Amino acid sequence: MLVLSRQRDESIMIGDNIVITIVDIRGDKVRLGINAPTEIPVHRQEVYEAIQRENLRSAQLDPKDVQTLGRVRPGGRGRDQDG
Amino acid sequence: MLRIATSRFGALELAAEEIWNFPQGLIGLEGHRAWALLGDAAGEDLAWLQATSHPELALPVVSPRRFVRDFRLRVAPSELVPLRLGRWEDALVLVIVGRTAEGVTLNLKAPVILNPAARLGRQVVAGGDQPLRHGLTHAEPTRRAA
Repeated sequence: MLVLSRQRDESIMIGDNIVITIVDIRGDKVRLGINAPTEIPVHRQEVYEAIQRENLRSAQLDPKDVQTLGRVRPGGRGRDQDG
Repeated sequence: MLRIATSRFGALELAAEEIWNFPQGLIGLEGHRAWALLGDAAGEDLAWLQATSHPELALPVVSPRRFVRDFRLRVAPSELVPLRLGRWEDALVLVIVGRTAEGVTLNLKAPVILNPAARLGRQVVAGGDQPLRHGLTHAEPTRRAA
């Protein structure tokens, strides 16, 4: 992995169209500003991986697995299962 | 007409205008860019996003507003630019259905936004504290508040 040292308000460029700027540093938290073309998705890695896992799980489903949707009360207030 | 094979629904013939182009694929499925939206025979609420080039790759989807009364979508405007929407009202919003031991869930964290006019689609990450697995309450006898 390439490792670069940067100070607040300094940037790195990836290619000629992605610029990542160190906006703020506070304790162990760094705030980054990211300028990239809109067609390049930017994600927090753990969020990306969680959504990828969920997409792959949903892709395993068969019609019989979701037939209970017909018995779900439309417009209802559900319960979040993320914990 | 485009003839596609599917593992769940058999062979299908689709018109070119029934194909949705996802230039970035779905999240974690970036290589799959052409999807068909198929109605489910068993229920008008349910549809399937079917990858046209992979028979076994299909995800169930529903309109979130049909199931989640207080659903509000917050998305950074920059996320929507590639969809080339004229007006936000023209967008079609779907969420992907999941399943846990407790029952059916909806992925409110990463909805699929479609631009019907341009046949473009994109999976976005919703702002705020939206759950990946929003559990649905099953139909119960109607109880009215006194």
